[in-house]
Amino acid sequence: MKYAPLLLLVTVAVLIALPWLVSGSMLNAAVQMLISALFAMAFGLLCGQAGMLSFGHAAYFGVGAFAAVHAMNAFGGEGLLPTPLLPLVGGASGLVSGLLAGYFSTKRTGVYFAMITLALAELLHALAPHLKTVFGGEAGVSSFRMPAWGIGFGSLNDVYFLTLVWTLVSIGLLYLFSKTPLGRLALGLRENAHRLRFLGYNTHALGTLIFAISAMFAGIAGALQSMNIEAANYVVLESHISTAVVLNSFIGGVRVFLGPAIGGAVMTFFGHVSSDLTRVWLLYQGIIFVLVMMFLPRGIVGELVERIRNPSGEGLARTISTLLARLASLAIAAFGAVFLIEFLQRVLSPEYRAGVTEGNWPDIALFSYDWAPLSVLPWAFGLGLFGFGIALVIMVNRRVAARKEAQA
Amino acid sequence: MGFQKFARGTAAMALVLGAATAAQAEPLKIALVETLSGPQASTGLLYRDAVKYQLSKINEAGGFGGAPIELLEFDNQGGPVGAADRVRAAISEGADIILQGSSSAVAGQVTEDVRKYNLRNAGNEVLYVNLGGEAMELTGAKCHYYHFRTTPNAAIRVNTIMDGMQEAGVLGERIYAMNQNYSWGIDVQDNTVEAAGRLGVEVVETTLHDVNKIQDFSPYVQRIQAADADTVITGNWSNDLLLLMKATSGAGLDVRFGTAFLDQPGNIGNAGAVAEGHFLSTTFNPEVNPEESAVFMEDYKAFTGHYPSYVEPTAVFGMMLLGEALKSVEPTEDGLNAADLAVALENARVETPMGPVYIRAEDHQIVQSMIVQEVSRDAKYKSDDTEFGFVPIKVIAAEDAEQPVQDSCKMKRPG
Amino acid sequence: MDQILFALLNGTIYGLLLFMVSAGLTLIFGMMGVLNFAHASFYMLGAYFAYTLQPLTGFWLAIILAPILVMGVGILVERFILRHVHEHGHAHELLVTFGLSVVIAEMIKMVYGKFAVDYRVPAELNFAAFSLSGIDYPFYRLFMGGIAVVMFIAIYLLLTKTRVGIVVRSAIYRPQMVEALGHNVPMVFMGVFGIGAALAGLAGAVAGAFYTTNPNMALELGVMVFVVVVVGGLGSMGGAMAASLLIGITNSLAVGSDFRIADILTWIGMGGWADEVGGLLTMRMSSLAATLPFFIMLLVLVLRPSGLMGEKE
Repeated sequence: MKYAPLLLLVTVAVLIALPWLVSGSMLNAAVQMLISALFAMAFGLLCGQAGMLSFGHAAYFGVGAFAAVHAMNAFGGEGLLPTPLLPLVGGASGLVSGLLAGYFSTKRTGVYFAMITLALAELLHALAPHLKTVFGGEAGVSSFRMPAWGIGFGSLNDVYFLTLVWTLVSIGLLYLFSKTPLGRLALGLRENAHRLRFLGYNTHALGTLIFAISAMFAGIAGALQSMNIEAANYVVLESHISTAVVLNSFIGGVRVFLGPAIGGAVMTFFGHVSSDLTRVWLLYQGIIFVLVMMFLPRGIVGELVERIRNPSGEGLARTISTLLARLASLAIAAFGAVFLIEFLQRVLSPEYRAGVTEGNWPDIALFSYDWAPLSVLPWAFGLGLFGFGIALVIMVNRRVAARKEAQA
Repeated sequence: MGFQKFARGTAAMALVLGAATAAQAEPLKIALVETLSGPQASTGLLYRDAVKYQLSKINEAGGFGGAPIELLEFDNQGGPVGAADRVRAAISEGADIILQGSSSAVAGQVTEDVRKYNLRNAGNEVLYVNLGGEAMELTGAKCHYYHFRTTPNAAIRVNTIMDGMQEAGVLGERIYAMNQNYSWGIDVQDNTVEAAGRLGVEVVETTLHDVNKIQDFSPYVQRIQAADADTVITGNWSNDLLLLMKATSGAGLDVRFGTAFLDQPGNIGNAGAVAEGHFLSTTFNPEVNPEESAVFMEDYKAFTGHYPSYVEPTAVFGMMLLGEALKSVEPTEDGLNAADLAVALENARVETPMGPVYIRAEDHQIVQSMIVQEVSRDAKYKSDDTEFGFVPIKVIAAEDAEQPVQDSCKMKRPG
Repeated sequence: MDQILFALLNGTIYGLLLFMVSAGLTLIFGMMGVLNFAHASFYMLGAYFAYTLQPLTGFWLAIILAPILVMGVGILVERFILRHVHEHGHAHELLVTFGLSVVIAEMIKMVYGKFAVDYRVPAELNFAAFSLSGIDYPFYRLFMGGIAVVMFIAIYLLLTKTRVGIVVRSAIYRPQMVEALGHNVPMVFMGVFGIGAALAGLAGAVAGAFYTTNPNMALELGVMVFVVVVVGGLGSMGGAMAASLLIGITNSLAVGSDFRIADILTWIGMGGWADEVGGLLTMRMSSLAATLPFFIMLLVLVLRPSGLMGEKE
C-alpha cells in the first residue's frame, strides 16, 4: 500500500495529459467515464459506507442535470453562475432533494429502503413527461455553454478539463468525508445501527444526512453530464440509470474507496467500445454482471485489494505466475464463448436467415475466416476452446489448493 | 484561397477535437447514429438497412467526388445521452453528414448538437438528415438551416389519413383521438382536432395515455364505446397500438382505426384478422405504380433479405434525395462543404415510384405524396407471412399532402 | 352503472393476471428474502416457450408444457447461480438476478428477433362470453381470471393443508430449525424457486397469447410485480392477491376518470388559480394511471411498511 500515493500521482498525471494522448472519440468516452465514476462514487458513499442500497439514484442525478440546464439558461442564456461553477447548482439541488427523499426513505431499512427509493424515482420518472415546463417533454431542455474566465468551453478539451477538475475535487472531498467523524459514523450505521442508537446517536438524522450528501454528489455528476451534452432529457430519470450505477459500483467493489469509480469507468468504457463492435453487447454486459457477482463478490478492485492485503504467502513470483495462468486460461475460455455467441448471433440474425434458401446455408465470416454453419467445425471450435479454457482454470485452481494443503 | 480555406478548416478541427484528423482527399463520410441495441433497436436496424441499400446505389453511380462514400455506424444506445456522445465521435472521425431516424427524443438532441457545433465551427459545418423524427417542433421551434427532415410529420400523417378516409366514405361523423401522452401523441391529437374542424366532423373525445406502460387497454376501449365513436385516430406505435386494437376487437366494437404506424413489422402478424379493415397513411405502397414499385421491392429484397416496409421506403426516398443533391455539389479540397449541400438539398427533386419528392426551403420539411391504405386480404404483398397486407385506397399528391409551415420556425439562413 | 361494472371487472381480471405473475415472486421473496429481478423474465420465457410449442403440440399442451420448461430453467438458476451467491448477501443475489434478466432478454432477442411474435389466442377460445350495453366481453379474459383463482386456491391449500406446506412455511421463518429436524432445506428452496418460476411461466403462456409476446414484455411488467409483492406484504399470498386486485382496480378506475386536482380546488373557489398554475394540478387522472401503483407503494411503505397483510418488520 506504500505505493498508493505514487500510483495516484501517476494516474492524475495521465488523466491531465489524456487530451494529447488519445483521439477525440476516446476523449469523449473519457468524459463519460469520469461522470459515471463520480456518480458511482456518490452511490458508493451511501451503499458501501453506510450500507443503504438505493434503487433510485437516477432521481438525484437527474435533478442535478435539470437544475444545471435551467441554470445555464437563466437570464436569457447568460447563466446563473459562470460556466465552471454551474455544477454547484446541480450539487445544491441534489442536496435539497436528497434531504427530502432521505427523510422519508431512511425511516426504513433493507429491502424496504430500497423499495422507497425505487418508488420515489419511478414517481418522478412517471411525472416528468407531464411537466413540460420543467422537464421539457420528450425533446428535453437544451442549453449552451457560455464562455467564462477567458475559456471558451466550446471544445471537447475544455469540457474534459472541466469534468476532470470537478470529478477529482469531488472524489477528494468524498475521501476527506470518509475520514471525518461523520464518515466513520456512516460505517457504524452499516455495521450496527442498533448499537449506534443505544450510544445516543440519532440514526434517522444521520442516515438522512448521508443520503443527502450522496445525492449532492450524484447531482454534481448529473450537472456535469448535462453540461457535457448541453441538454437534459427526462430519460436520465429512467430506472436503468439507477440500476446501472448499482451494478457498476458492485462490479468495481462497493466497499473499497475507489472501487465504484473504477467500476463505473470500466463499464462505461466497455459499453462505449463494445456497442460499436457487436450487436449483442448488452448480452456480454449481463454475463459479466452475473460472473462478477458469482466469482468476485467483493468486486474487481475489492478482490485486488484483498489479495494485496492478504498475500497468499507463496511469494510474489508464484502469485504472479498463478495469476497469469488463470488469466490466460480465462482468456481462452472467453474467446471460445465470444466465438460461439457471435457465431450463433450471425446464424440467427434475420439477414442471414433471409439468405438461406432450400438447404443452402451460406458460409459466415467471423474473425477473418469463413465458417459453414452446418458443419461441426465452428461449433466444435467454439465449444472446444471454451471447455479447454475452463478445464485449465480448474487445473490451476486444483494445483493452488494442493499447494495450500501441502503447506498446511 | 482554396488552400487557405483548407488550412483554416483543418486548424479548426484540430483545435476543436484536440486531435488533428486529416480531412483532405478522403472519401465523404456519412455517419449513421442509430439505436442499434436495446429495446428500441428493431427500428434502428431497419433504418440501417435502408441507408445501406440506397448508399450502395449512390456508390454504384460513382459516389461523391469520384470516390465511394463511406458509411460510419454508431450505436446511440437508444437515448439522447448516447446520441450526443456518438454525434461528437462521428464528427471527430470526419463525418460531414449525420443520419438518424428512430425516436424524436434522439432527433431533438442530434439537431441541437449539430446546430451548436455549427455555431462554434462556422465554415466547417455538418448537416443532419432526419430520416424519421416526426415531432412537429423539429421543423418548428427547433428548426435550423442544417436540419433536413425527409419523413412526414404529425400534421401530414393526420390530415392525409382523415382526408383519405373521408373520401373513401369510412371516416364517419364521430372521431375519437387516442394518443400517447408525449409530444408526438399531443401533436397528433391537436392536428386531429384541427382537421376534424376542417372536414366538418366531430371529435367526440380526446385521450392521452401513458407511453408503453399499459398492458390492459380495456378501460380505454370502454371509453371509446361510451363516446359512440365511428373512427379512432391514433398516433400509437408498437405495443400501444397492438394492444389497443386487440382490446377493441375483443370487445366487439365496430370502429375503424386511422393510424400512422400500423405497418411496423410484427404488427400484422400479431394482430392477424384484428387489423383487417383498419387504415394507415404512409409514404409507400407497392400497389401504387406497380411496375416501378415491384422493381424497387425485389431489388430491396435482394439486398437486405426482406421487402421494404414501415420506415424503410421513407428512409430510402430521403437517401435518394440526398444522393441527388450530392450530384450537384462540387467537392472542395476538404471533401464536402455542408453549406453547398444545404443549398443543393433545397433545390433537389427526385422521382420515386410514388411521385416527386423535394425539400421545402422555408422549414426543410420534405414534401411527398402520401398513400392512404387499408389492411385487407386482397393485398398483393402480404405482411409478416399472414394473409393480410395493405391495399391503397387513395394517393394524396405531394402538393395536397403538404401542410403549412409552422409560425414557430424562425430559420436563420446564412449570409 | 354498466361503465363502473365493466371497469371493476376489467380491473379484477388485470389484478388477477398481476397475481399470477407475483404469486411465485411472493413465495420466493418470503422464503429466501430475494427480490428476484428475473421473475418477470420467467413470465416472458413462459410466453415464448408456449409460442414455440404451440405448432407442435397445440395450445393446451403448450400451456402445460411451457411452465414445466420454465420450472426447469428456474431450478437450474437456483441450483447453479443463486445458491452460489447466497453467502455473499441479499444485495448480491438481487444483482445476480438482474444480470440474468438482461441475459434472458438478450437471448430471446437473438433467437426470436426483436419484434412481437404472432402468438395468439386460439380460435376456439376467441369468442365473447357475454355482452353488456354493446360491449362484448372476451371469454379469454374470464379464462385468465379463472386460472388465477384456481392457482390461488391451489397454493393456499398446498401451503396450509399439506405436510409439504408446513415444512415450506416453517422453512421461511426458522430454516435452521427445520434443517435440524431433518428436512432438506436447500431442496425446499430449490423446489419453491422452481414452482415460483413455473407459476410465472404459466402466467406468461396464458397472458402472452392475449396481450403481446415481445422481448420487452418482462420489462413492462417487471417493476409492477415488485410493487404488488411489497404492497401485499412479505411472503403473504393473501396480501399479494389483495394488492394485485387493489392495483388492478384502481388502475382501471383511474383510466376512466377525468378527475383533476383543480376540480377539488374549484369547490373552495380556487379553480381559476389552479388552472393558471397548471402542471400537476390540471393533470387528468387518466393520464396519471401508471403512476398510481408507485404512489400506493410509497404510502404503504411509509404508513404500514409490513404491507397490507405481511408480518411486522
